[in-house]
Amino acid sequence: MAGAVEHDYHILPPSPWPFFAGIAALVWGLGMVVFFTGLVPRSGDGAMMEFFFARGLDTIQGRDGSGGGWIILLIGTLMAAYVMYGWWRDVAAESARGEHTPVIDLGLRYGMIMFIMQEAMFFVGWFWMFFELGLFHKFRAGWNPDILENPESYASWPPPSIETVDPWHLPLMNTLILLLSGTTVTWGHHALVHGDRKGAKWGIGLTVALGVLFLAVMAYEYTHLFHYRLEDGMNGTFWLSTNVYGSAFFMATGFHGLHVLIGAIFLFAMWARLMNGGMSPEKHFGLEAAAWYWHFVDVVWLFLFAFIYVAFV
Amino acid sequence: MRALNAMSSTIGAGLVAALSGVAAFAQDAPSGLNEFGPEPKGWFLQDAATPVMEELIVVHNLVQIIITAIVLFVFLLMAYILIRFRESKNPVPSKTSHNTLIEIVWTVVPVILLVIIAIPSMNLLYKQDRLPETEMTVKVVGNTWNWLYSYPEYENVEEWVSNPLDETQAREVGQPYLLATDAPLVVPVGTKVKVLVTSVNNMHSWAVPSFGVKMDAVPGIINETWFEVFEEGTYYGQCSEICGVRHYYMPIEVKAVSKAEFARFIAAGGEPEDKFAQLNDGGGAVVSAND
Amino acid sequence: MVAIPGADIPVVHTPADDKPGFWARWFYSTNHKDIGILYLIFGIFSGLLGGFLSFMMRMELATPGIDVFSSEHTYLVFVTMHGLIMIFFMVMPALIGGFGNYFLPIMIGAPDMAFPRMNNLSFWLLPVALICLLISFFVPGAAEGNGFGGAWVMYPPLSTTGSPGPAFDFIIIGLLAAGFSSIFGAINFITTILNMRAPGMTMHKMPLFAWAMLVTAFLLLLALPVLAAALFMLLTDRIEGGTAFFDPARGGDPQMFQHLFWFFGHPEVYIMILPAFGIVSHIVSTFSKKPIFGYLGMAYAMVAIGVVGFVVWAHHMYTVGMDVNVKAYFVLATLVIAVPTGVKVFSWLATMWGGSIRFTVPMLWAIGFIILFVVGGVTGVMLANAGVTTYLHDTYYVVAHFHYVLSMGAVFGIFAGWYYWYGKMFGHHYNGFLARLHFWLFFIGVNVIFFPQHFLGLNSMPRRYIDYPVEFEFWNMVSSWGAWITLASVAVFFVVLIEAFLMRNKRRVGNNYWGEGATTLEWTISSPPPYHQFSVLPRIDAGDSDPHEEVDEAYARREGDSA
Ligand code: HEA
Ligand code: HEA
Ligand code: CUA
Ligand SMILES: [Cu+2]
Repeated sequence: MAGAVEHDYHILPPSPWPFFAGIAALVWGLGMVVFFTGLVPRSGDGAMMEFFFARGLDTIQGRDGSGGGWIILLIGTLMAAYVMYGWWRDVAAESARGEHTPVIDLGLRYGMIMFIMQEAMFFVGWFWMFFELGLFHKFRAGWNPDILENPESYASWPPPSIETVDPWHLPLMNTLILLLSGTTVTWGHHALVHGDRKGAKWGIGLTVALGVLFLAVMAYEYTHLFHYRLEDGMNGTFWLSTNVYGSAFFMATGFHGLHVLIGAIFLFAMWARLMNGGMSPEKHFGLEAAAWYWHFVDVVWLFLFAFIYVAFV
Repeated sequence: MRALNAMSSTIGAGLVAALSGVAAFAQDAPSGLNEFGPEPKGWFLQDAATPVMEELIVVHNLVQIIITAIVLFVFLLMAYILIRFRESKNPVPSKTSHNTLIEIVWTVVPVILLVIIAIPSMNLLYKQDRLPETEMTVKVVGNTWNWLYSYPEYENVEEWVSNPLDETQAREVGQPYLLATDAPLVVPVGTKVKVLVTSVNNMHSWAVPSFGVKMDAVPGIINETWFEVFEEGTYYGQCSEICGVRHYYMPIEVKAVSKAEFARFIAAGGEPEDKFAQLNDGGGAVVSAND
Repeated sequence: MVAIPGADIPVVHTPADDKPGFWARWFYSTNHKDIGILYLIFGIFSGLLGGFLSFMMRMELATPGIDVFSSEHTYLVFVTMHGLIMIFFMVMPALIGGFGNYFLPIMIGAPDMAFPRMNNLSFWLLPVALICLLISFFVPGAAEGNGFGGAWVMYPPLSTTGSPGPAFDFIIIGLLAAGFSSIFGAINFITTILNMRAPGMTMHKMPLFAWAMLVTAFLLLLALPVLAAALFMLLTDRIEGGTAFFDPARGGDPQMFQHLFWFFGHPEVYIMILPAFGIVSHIVSTFSKKPIFGYLGMAYAMVAIGVVGFVVWAHHMYTVGMDVNVKAYFVLATLVIAVPTGVKVFSWLATMWGGSIRFTVPMLWAIGFIILFVVGGVTGVMLANAGVTTYLHDTYYVVAHFHYVLSMGAVFGIFAGWYYWYGKMFGHHYNGFLARLHFWLFFIGVNVIFFPQHFLGLNSMPRRYIDYPVEFEFWNMVSSWGAWITLASVAVFFVVLIEAFLMRNKRRVGNNYWGEGATTLEWTISSPPPYHQFSVLPRIDAGDSDPHEEVDEAYARREGDSA
């Protein structure tokens, strides 16, 4: 190999991770199907097949019935987690060995920008759904009285049976949490750039903590809405199956929450690298990428807050 | 395109001999009554039964002429180039790779052609879609797998189900299988009819080609369209949105009758002409007794 | 076949010519060329699978009556799977994953893709996705049988309440996996193109195939996530006690899915044709021995097609009951796309004009592509007119339209690329006679299949019908005969492959076996290329210097150094 390669690009040795990522995806996909629909009907005698392949959601929802879909899902998730760990460990090691030349660093930047662009389009899908449902509800109410359960209720949005979440309580608090976390992540980044590793650790650590806090508040809000349903039937507040407003609300905010979780894990990994003495003032693109991602998640939340919590109430 | 056309028909002609059945099918159509539907070996739009369809054919033909001309132009140019500039004829290639004028021409000319297409196309679209003052209404509900018809304005006529005729039944009444139904929708001629289309389960699409009508039946939504039939007759259509296993087996049959006939029909409580009744009577007579 | 210039030039070995063992090389690959080959093999496999499904469909449709399939449901499952497999598992892997991976880095003078590991992930997600689709065949779908029969467009409520079994969940998971595969691929291509062009290769000097891949990658990046969101909505809508997005009884809107789907679906059709445009451009230029006519116009026409492609989606929804003004907008927007596409067609013709045209096998496919794509394109213009499409929507006219642009456009592009680059990829040549036989049989076959389908559509035969009134018999019979001819041609294709493999040692080819006219960088390196090409980056200097010389010099320099 000696020295004859006259370019700065990275020619990688073969890597097992992508292949096993594929296998993990297969297991995970199988788990999803079993979890949501089930592969075999449930007969109740709890045989092996049934335990693993019957629908799993029933157990979650507290109904009777077996269903081990979640086990497959868990195995898939663990496999994926292991692959990700191994994969990113390799990347971090390559970076530490100085294999990430400036041009590769630039490539990583392009890659991350593209990744965030596609995430943005994913949320475009959810907002499209929300606006279509929210803006054209009057038409739908008029369209087909035969089939709509109670048409008049759809003449307003959200439907009157829905008791919406007051945006100026928990959601406002969550907005502030995320905005604050946006500043702490910048603090951490700048601290690292200026060689203040301690500040960097604090900044990133705090950001992760704020992210977790955000998720906790969100979980509280969700269980609150959910519990009402269990106790008072449908008339307390709403759940994602109540009607289309519930679906829109929970899926849009839920997918955002999932992205907060991903961002927090990403930042946590960077924090762990910092704690292990990784990253330097000059070379820390992983951290920067995590920060970009975090800001992106933040902006999505501002849109959610403005439109789903405030404007459509 | 013409070349291809000729090519496939040559091949087709070769096959005719092998297809013993073809000729027999042509005789299936009952004579006498006007029937609008697909034609054996048909290769063109169905005949127009409404003003919208008349205009649709005009627009189609205009576009067809333009696109055929474009295709012929490209074919002939290509043929010329391939012959004139083949290696043996033109061993030394030119090196031209720019010519602003020609590039402008082949941008502007298509734009002009498209404008020529767009204008009549818009007229047709608005004519088809903007409901004129309609004189009566029918309601069409798609169901897996049959159609429900009713007249919201004539409450004495109950909603009825229009089921497809199976193969033996169709043969007995002398109507085409997969197009004929046991109880067609009945409408008067010369009347602007508004059609409300919806569905109670899967999506369907209510389509009568010779009317130039195709409207999706979507649960939760009532779509509107209209038609005005010129002459009496039977008009066939087929469900045109995939709706499950019997998607192919939910035909549409519309019977256009004279206004007087229609009035009688409504007065009689809309007793749909029950072909089964006749079948069950052992009649097996062809349905086209009227007029 | 043709004389092989350059056959005597020895293979240049690069220092990184280390060959990993079999398993590591093909399963753990980080080499864009190996991954490209994997994609191509995958594409051929899926092509056979999708082709098999379509031949079964054509056999069923040859005569009226239900005589091949045991149930109507199975027929619909075949139609659905045929559409999905051909699009997601044959055309996209072959054109984007296969040729894109193999040739894009070489053409822009890069040693590999930007993210070689992620590249392999993109590939391995595809077999996973295909396995999910195959499982779906054999698990309960609707009450009527196994598999999902709701067409590749998956409209609810047929795909929610209409197909309660797990079959459709597997399809959702499969498509999500295929989607992620393409998104990662797109990120990889964009980064490679923006970041790894050889010194001196400005965007405006990039080969057109690279431009095509750039636009395609952006379409993938922006369109697929929306499909993913829509698929998630379907997934949760399908659960008992799940969401209500498309359930009208709880205020949902089934048509919303159609908007989301086609917002993806229309860019998707350009995703399938743009790489073929790129390939055809190179072939036409090579065998006319002329540079591309109107290079910038060609590049920006593709950009324009990509941009406008995002704002025309509802032309698939003319009969769903949209407001007439909305329809009018979509008619006009759709018509606009004919203009940049025309620029491409006429520029190809102008490239050939004045050229010195050689009728090699890839050139035949490229000429066939241009001719048949125009036929398919102009019927698209017919369909753009909402008024007329009220009649034609969901008839075989549409089927004819999109097979002319897909089964002839995209597939001709694939075969053109295959025969153009076969020697480059495998180092030997195929038998020209057999390859020509393949071309002519395929050309005749697909035209006989799909030209009569225009007539069926005009005569109003609806799509997705297992059985039809006898009036439609004649042209259906003709069409099915065409399928036999096409089947024969696919068999010949395999004869070509086997024959070429057996004769591989007798037909070695050199660096540039097409000779004058083939000017892109892949022709400057050996056939097959070294395991890692461009250890010394080629330098594309201003002016008209010849990249061949540049590379030769660079290698000479390096060999001198190490000697
Ligand atoms: C590779 C795939 C591909 C490509 C390139 C295209 C290209 C085009 N398509 Fe097609 N289309 C499909 C794949 C594709 N399509 C598929 C798969 C479906 C069906 C989906 C389903 O329902 O299952 C479909 C359906 C479809 C419909 C909906 C029909 C219906 O269901 O009712 C419409 C309507 O507007 C349409 C229009 C067009 C147009 C205007 C173009 C244009 O881009 C074509 C432009 C090209 C030309 C016009 C030819 C070259 C130009 C010239 C020579 C210049 C001069 C020309 C003029 C002035 C006209 N297509
Ligand atoms: C790329 C897409 C593609 C391709 C190539 C084809 C190819 C063919 N299709 Fe396709 N078809 C679709 C996409 C495609 N189709 C779609 C999207 C639908 C709509 C589905 C729906 O309604 O939901 C459809 C629907 C459809 C119908 C309508 C069914 C119905 O509505 O009831 C019919 C009927 O005749 C048909 C027939 C055929 C036939 C005979 C071929 C033949 O041309 C097949 C011949 C075989 C090949 C062309 C494969 C050869 C390729 C290879 C072997 C790979 C080579 C690879 C490398 C060299 C790397 N198809
Ligand atoms: Cu009803 Cu298709
Ligand atoms: Cu389209």
